[in-house]
Amino acid sequence: MSINYKDRIFTVMATVFEVPLETLNEESSIDTIDTWDSMKHLTLILALEEEFGITIPDEEVGGLVTYKLIDVTIHEQLGH
Amino acid sequence: MMDTLKYSDILQLNKELKATITGKPFKVAILSNVIVSTLKEPLEYLLRKNGLNPEIEIGNFDNIVQDSVVHATSDLVIVFYELLNIGDGISGYVEAVDEQRLRGLEEKLLNETDLIIQNLSRTPKVVFNLFSSLAFETGYTGRGNLPELQERLNHHLQSKTEKNLVLLNIDRVVAEVGIREAYDYRFYASSKAPYTLSFYKWYLSAIEPEIRKMSGKSKKALLLDCDNTLWKGVIGEDGLDGIDMSSSSHSGKPFHDVQHILKYLASNGVILALTSKNNLKDVEDVFLNHPDMVLKPEDIVIWKVNWTDKATNIRDIAQELNIGLDSLVFVDDSDFEINLVKDQLPEVEVFQVPKSAYLYKNEFIRMYRTHFNLAVSEEDRNKTRQYKEQFQRESVKQQFGTTEDYIRSLGIHVKLTSDDHKNVARIAQLTQKTNQFNLTTRRYSELEMEGFITNPRYHVFSGSVSDTYGDSGITLLAVIAPMDETSKQARIDTFLMSCRIIGRNIEHAVLGEILRHLKEKGYESVRSEYIPTPKNDQVRLFYEQNGFDLIEDVNESKQYRLNLNTYDSVWPTFLTLETHYTV
Repeated sequence: MSINYKDRIFTVMATVFEVPLETLNEESSIDTIDTWDSMKHLTLILALEEEFGITIPDEEVGGLVTYKLIDVTIHEQLGH
Repeated sequence: MMDTLKYSDILQLNKELKATITGKPFKVAILSNVIVSTLKEPLEYLLRKNGLNPEIEIGNFDNIVQDSVVHATSDLVIVFYELLNIGDGISGYVEAVDEQRLRGLEEKLLNETDLIIQNLSRTPKVVFNLFSSLAFETGYTGRGNLPELQERLNHHLQSKTEKNLVLLNIDRVVAEVGIREAYDYRFYASSKAPYTLSFYKWYLSAIEPEIRKMSGKSKKALLLDCDNTLWKGVIGEDGLDGIDMSSSSHSGKPFHDVQHILKYLASNGVILALTSKNNLKDVEDVFLNHPDMVLKPEDIVIWKVNWTDKATNIRDIAQELNIGLDSLVFVDDSDFEINLVKDQLPEVEVFQVPKSAYLYKNEFIRMYRTHFNLAVSEEDRNKTRQYKEQFQRESVKQQFGTTEDYIRSLGIHVKLTSDDHKNVARIAQLTQKTNQFNLTTRRYSELEMEGFITNPRYHVFSGSVSDTYGDSGITLLAVIAPMDETSKQARIDTFLMSCRIIGRNIEHAVLGEILRHLKEKGYESVRSEYIPTPKNDQVRLFYEQNGFDLIEDVNESKQYRLNLNTYDSVWPTFLTLETHYTV
């Protein structure tokens, strides 16, 4: 877990959900971001996959609804 | 090009542009039987980049026929009618379906397609994706139900004659990306969203030329360097025998091919000009005497072959052609020149000849297909000749003492026609392309113009101007609309003239004739307006100059009124007029 992707993830989330970067933190989730709906969720997954050059497995896509889960999954996919 | 941008960058750029683009909303509807919502924001960005203020609606899922009624009033409708979802709908495996059911399905699809196109027949533009079977594993050999069905459906679509219909070859978009990169079966399985981001980016590149046509942002002229752009080598150093553009030499072939493309573009209305740092005599020598030259001196409208810097030459060309810098594409092989133009004239689009010459032809084709809207009419094809005539006129102009003497010597003859059906394509195109002498800058499609022409309460006056040097073709237009159902008040909806005929007082004469005609037809007064844009400042006082009274002046427009009862048109003596009115 030596590589920190936090800023890149936050940047993507801020762009997709159209919220100011400074409102995001490690506790951010579908419950704290009002604009996080099912369409935006699809957009988020696509944008994250492009940003990190990964493909998130089908069975994990639906569950990635908090910053922490996203961070863990990205590290897993990158083999860290 | 959209396909080089990251998705999150597109989202970000779109947000930034949003604040800067205002104006009348450009309404787009995307009708689909799969989920394509990911397309929305990138499409918004593409529209904003082209100066349009988008209002995009995504139709209901798999409800294309009904939606085609609901969204018929959009400016643009895009239809994704996917065999993928239809095939899955009738069977788990379409190849196993019996012939009778398959025929029933085909019947239904043909009927629905007809209905959709019919419902959208008054929409200015409909982009209908051709049917594709690439999302299915159809194998590499033999025949199959799906590919055959696809062929028949597309054959049917291609037989359609609706002028507003654009069929988009989606297979080519998928091919650019690769089948495996174009479809995401993961999201198709979970949310019926079959396409990847890569697909959407290429799809937007594919529809960009259509968007440009609608926004009036098509380019008009190509400014060409010579050495290592039209031929391999440097004429000033290598000499006539040392440069190469031969179809039979490895290094000359790409230049030979590009010259053929340029020749084709010139004969389809694109203006070619040279911007080359050379001795004029050397370049003329190549054009006249090199056996492999495809382009001939008459293909080139302006020769800026000199040692002046290219930015200055380009500014001069724009001025001489009387077109905006944003109508120009500059072509050069040199990093220095390309960067100079990028830096000094950011409005000018640049194309750099690729370092690998074997890529030149295809990249050049891709560039022109993105930026130029090729001629649809005879008018465009004659444009090169017309621009040349304009230059002859300009040079005679300098010998006369006053402009008036000059105008009188031209023997100007104006031909004015009302409701000219057979030239509706050209007339609509005039509204799309004319920016400077245009009082309201309203853009109309061929279909809308056809509507005005056939409506007895509207009068569409179009005209051409000829003089001792030639015929301008249809270059002026006025659309007169009724103010309301009953009153004897008319409204000048559109009044425009191509820049080719500006500067000869023709505008006052034509307006005078139209007002005279309206008075004769029993109208008592005429309303008109001027809507300012960044380009039409020269007509700011046009109606004041012609005796109209300003009745309202708000930021967005100036409104005028003219009482025809007291109006008396004075016909100028410097020109002759011929009218062809249907009523």
